[in-house]
Amino acid sequence: MAVDKKKLKVVNNKTHSIDGQGLMQGRSYYTDDLAEQNSLVIKILRSPHAFAHIKSIDVSEAQKLNGVALVLTYKDVPHVSFSRAGQGYPEPSPHDKFILDEYVRYVGDEVAMVAAVDERVAEEALKLIKVEYEVLEPVLDFETAYENKSIIHPEDGIKEMFPIGFEPKKNVAAAYEMEVGDVEKELAKSDVIVDETFYSQAQAHAMLETHSSNARLDAHNRLVIYSSTQTPFHMRRIMATTLGLPVSKIRFIKPRVGGGFGGKQAFHGEMFCALTTLRTGKPSKLVYTREEVFGASYTRHPMRIRMRIGAMKDGRINAIDCRSLSDTGAYGEHSLTVFMIVGSKVLPLYNKVDAVKFGGQVVYTNHVPAGAYRGYGAIQGNYALEATIDILAEKLGMDPKVLREKNSMKEKETSPIFEIMGEGTKGTAMIMESCKLPYCIKRGAELIGWEKNWPRVKVSDTKVRGYGMAIAMQGSGIPFMDMGSCSIKLNDGGSYNVTVGATDIGQGSDTLIAQIVAEELQTSVDNILIYSSDTDLTPFDCGAYASSTTYISGNAAWKAAIKMRERLIKEAAEYLSEKPENVEFDGKIFTSKDKQVSLYDLSVQFLYNKNLHQVSITESYYGHVSPPPFMAAYAEVEVDLETGEYEVLNYVTVTDCGTTINPMLARGQVEGGIVQGLGMACFEDVKYDKKGNLLSNNFLGYHIPTHKEIHKLTSEFADSYEPTGPFGAKSVGEIGIDTPPAVICNAIYNATGVRVHNLPITPEKILKGLKELKK
Amino acid sequence: MKVNEYYRASSLEDAYQKLLASPKNAIIAGGLWMKKMGQSYETLIDLSNLGLDKIEDKKDEVVVGALATQRDFENSKVVSFLYAGAPAFAVREVMGVNFRNIATIGGSIMGRYPFSDVITGLLPYDVKLEFYPAQKMSLEEYLNYKGRLNAILVAVHIKKIEGKGYFKKVKTTALDFPIVNIAVAKVAGEYRVVVGARPMVAAKAYKAMEYLNNGAKDFTKAAELAVEELSFMDNKDASKEYRVDLAKVYVRRGLEEVSK
Amino acid sequence: MLVTFYLNNTQVSYDVRPDEYLSHTLRSHGIKSVKVGCNESTCGSCTLLVDDKPVMSCSVLTASIEGKHVTTVEGIQEEAAKIAYHFAEEGADQCGFCNAGYALVVYALKREIKNPTEEQIIDYIVGNLCRCSGLQSQLNAIKAYLKEE
Repeated sequence: MAVDKKKLKVVNNKTHSIDGQGLMQGRSYYTDDLAEQNSLVIKILRSPHAFAHIKSIDVSEAQKLNGVALVLTYKDVPHVSFSRAGQGYPEPSPHDKFILDEYVRYVGDEVAMVAAVDERVAEEALKLIKVEYEVLEPVLDFETAYENKSIIHPEDGIKEMFPIGFEPKKNVAAAYEMEVGDVEKELAKSDVIVDETFYSQAQAHAMLETHSSNARLDAHNRLVIYSSTQTPFHMRRIMATTLGLPVSKIRFIKPRVGGGFGGKQAFHGEMFCALTTLRTGKPSKLVYTREEVFGASYTRHPMRIRMRIGAMKDGRINAIDCRSLSDTGAYGEHSLTVFMIVGSKVLPLYNKVDAVKFGGQVVYTNHVPAGAYRGYGAIQGNYALEATIDILAEKLGMDPKVLREKNSMKEKETSPIFEIMGEGTKGTAMIMESCKLPYCIKRGAELIGWEKNWPRVKVSDTKVRGYGMAIAMQGSGIPFMDMGSCSIKLNDGGSYNVTVGATDIGQGSDTLIAQIVAEELQTSVDNILIYSSDTDLTPFDCGAYASSTTYISGNAAWKAAIKMRERLIKEAAEYLSEKPENVEFDGKIFTSKDKQVSLYDLSVQFLYNKNLHQVSITESYYGHVSPPPFMAAYAEVEVDLETGEYEVLNYVTVTDCGTTINPMLARGQVEGGIVQGLGMACFEDVKYDKKGNLLSNNFLGYHIPTHKEIHKLTSEFADSYEPTGPFGAKSVGEIGIDTPPAVICNAIYNATGVRVHNLPITPEKILKGLKELKK
Repeated sequence: MKVNEYYRASSLEDAYQKLLASPKNAIIAGGLWMKKMGQSYETLIDLSNLGLDKIEDKKDEVVVGALATQRDFENSKVVSFLYAGAPAFAVREVMGVNFRNIATIGGSIMGRYPFSDVITGLLPYDVKLEFYPAQKMSLEEYLNYKGRLNAILVAVHIKKIEGKGYFKKVKTTALDFPIVNIAVAKVAGEYRVVVGARPMVAAKAYKAMEYLNNGAKDFTKAAELAVEELSFMDNKDASKEYRVDLAKVYVRRGLEEVSK
Repeated sequence: MLVTFYLNNTQVSYDVRPDEYLSHTLRSHGIKSVKVGCNESTCGSCTLLVDDKPVMSCSVLTASIEGKHVTTVEGIQEEAAKIAYHFAEEGADQCGFCNAGYALVVYALKREIKNPTEEQIIDYIVGNLCRCSGLQSQLNAIKAYLKEE
């Protein structure tokens, strides 16, 4: 049953984020703001070597230092392998990490932990720990990792939870293969074949709040942890298993999170806080330095992707073959699932092929580990696919926009890939009930002036403007795996407490869930008192990942609100001695013929006067499909032909994310994603030295976009309605990040004739290409 | 950074004596790079009570107190009139306002940082550094001075001469060190060419200047002479070759600009 | 060492180490609005005003602010609410970690430069990183706030 969008009063209407003002005013709301005043401060001794075995470690001097409360090495912590990934159960990531280990596998890996009265003492103590390393030969080039004589995980006790292609002795964290039809046969039949290989870098999340957690024991001697996390419930489960504690002994509270983007799906320090507080009985805290965020948390998976595409002269694409190699660094967090998304949320864009193949390996190296990051494989795949589509269009002598229109996904169509590929497992078949991609392509072209401008416009002898495009898709949660839930409780006076496990990490989920509930209960957002998320107080939610919050948690909230509405009508009917079907509710007053009662009175009666009881509802939701949002993106770049420098003058997007629950927040998600994607496409270079030291480990060496680089973003939304979504909504958290690498690559090529096959697309690479063209 | 004592000097002599008292004592200006370096000091000597933050317009020069912040400098009316605003523009290219309100002109110069936009931006002009105990040397002499100068920078004297300047910082984003920076000027009819962040500290391109000041008009050739004379190197931000290419283009463009 | 200064117009004296930075001093005295994002004067989250000028407090030694006036967002609550209104109007607020720093820098801009050009606005705010928003929405919000009488 489709809701008439025109009748919506809160959803799809401009609504200010409910916490924006308080945050601007500086309220204490983030993890470290809430640490106990007298917390022990935890610091980590980190490996100076890319790969080494700890021959001996002597902490006696550190322990003697005045003010040191606890020093831990691998000898002092449970030797239980786990995955930091912060996923559901069983995890599709290998259990290949120990809290502390006798091997260190990248520069920055944890060697020992110190907890002391303050930061200075803790840092002083780190210097007193004597470690003797046997330095091993590191693997620093992921293309040589497979079956390398250096084995990064030679240890016992590591495992996969179900078959993911885990072969540690070959440095393989995961592997995957799939094929629909016969790709080689279809390629052989094709009039034109293109074969291109692209490289993408280990982008850093660079959220402004660094990883932070703190712990204390409550009056019941339970462990209470505040964590800047996207996944409080997974944290609780994984910590209980790894430390051998009952789940009931642990409470995780997620306060305001200062940006996550996938980086805070995983464990970063929580285990050390827990161990410190359990062993000393004292509160503790660990706040990562910026350098630790860059060099010792995790990054996007760098990849090499080879795309082969075959097409007929008329532009019909026959077959796509995508071979990938992914570098998961020292540990295999999200290794398989990110890898599969390269195929599963990219290749279905061209669903009319006769054959499609995807596969390859995720290898270990001695780099900073890789993990979840907004886009989650789709951005890497999109860069390779959408740049190759442009190359194919040129070979065919076609406008790449026309080639895309001809071959891309349309409403009511499907792709066999949906059924084959899921999140580390089999997928779920689905039909595109909402897909306005053709409109997005058409409208975006109008906004950028494609017909008039493509491929290039000369500005002067040294300046030229180039125009490029790409299309993208993502998903909305993981079907049959991601679950969200919502409780609604009626207060006296008629306000509602809404508690959700959904984790607001800045994307605005508290606001949009409040909007959903307010819309259904015909009240205003300020009458909804929302709280997220606390494993003691809020119902379960898988967490903020996989573009699941609006769709999964939003659906749970909608379901709960619908139930609450039904329940209130039933209660009011009883109160009025009427049948429920005769009672109308307008959000404030229940009316039946000549009788009425206000919600205000009814709610007070239930708590103080008559038929005393608490009215509350809890509902859960999990997806049966994962409806993809779609996007068409275009850019105008201006290139200085003498220096290779360029500016992105305008970035146009038209997005189909179904109903925008909160149009301003949706735009914020799209534009925030675009700017992060532009960072990856243009500026964010990851550099190591020959020994495996990360050089780009601060904001002076790793350049995220600033106000001076972003000129104009033009963002529109297609009129679309997803029948399975809350009020017609699909996800919008990740789709924004997917297109910039391909769009900028295509635009730069159209401006200059230089095709950059490895990210970021720097002026230096462009100038080098221009010089080669002149030869 | 570790410090045992924070000392507010009551006079330049007081500060100077404190500086001489121990090799582990140091003058603090803005303190930004000091923090980044993270060294240990016995005493940090604060000069902020000594009135060294003034920017004064004298008859034939502008005198910039060593503790004037970068922001004071770029906002100063008298500075903005210098060389068509090029030195002020160069300083404005450093990070953000909340950084430049801390960083001082004196600190930027004393550190002789290879990435300095301040030094590159000032080097084309007649700039003299005034030290305590009384000593004056040109900015260029100071850049070439070997070893640590045990003196306190008091002021920077910038000569007011009719002329036009140009400054270009090539960078990845606004909050970046320069990949290379270029300052070009025409002062009293004479060309000056400076390239910095090669990635070494700024230097004048004498051969290019001589070529131009003998009346030659080929700016492309002049730019080539500049990159031939100056040394360039690779680092993580750019290759030597790319730096040379950039310097060639921007020296030429700078010359075109200042000769207009 | 004892350092005396004015925190939002109230005189305070804190006993600090000579190498302690202002962001640390304030946070340890409960002023949690001061956010430390990089602790190396690059991200701008810790921005506050010293004698009305925006500075990154992670890199200002507390010892150096003897006698000076420090303004945190607690000292400009009404203006912060106005700025927040415009951020919300433009959909510019997300995780909020950079917001208090933005409020202070934008407030200082309004007082320092009357009718700034777009270039001046960008120059003034470029030292404050934001990883969530598309930045354009922030700029539009700031422009709207600056136009307020």
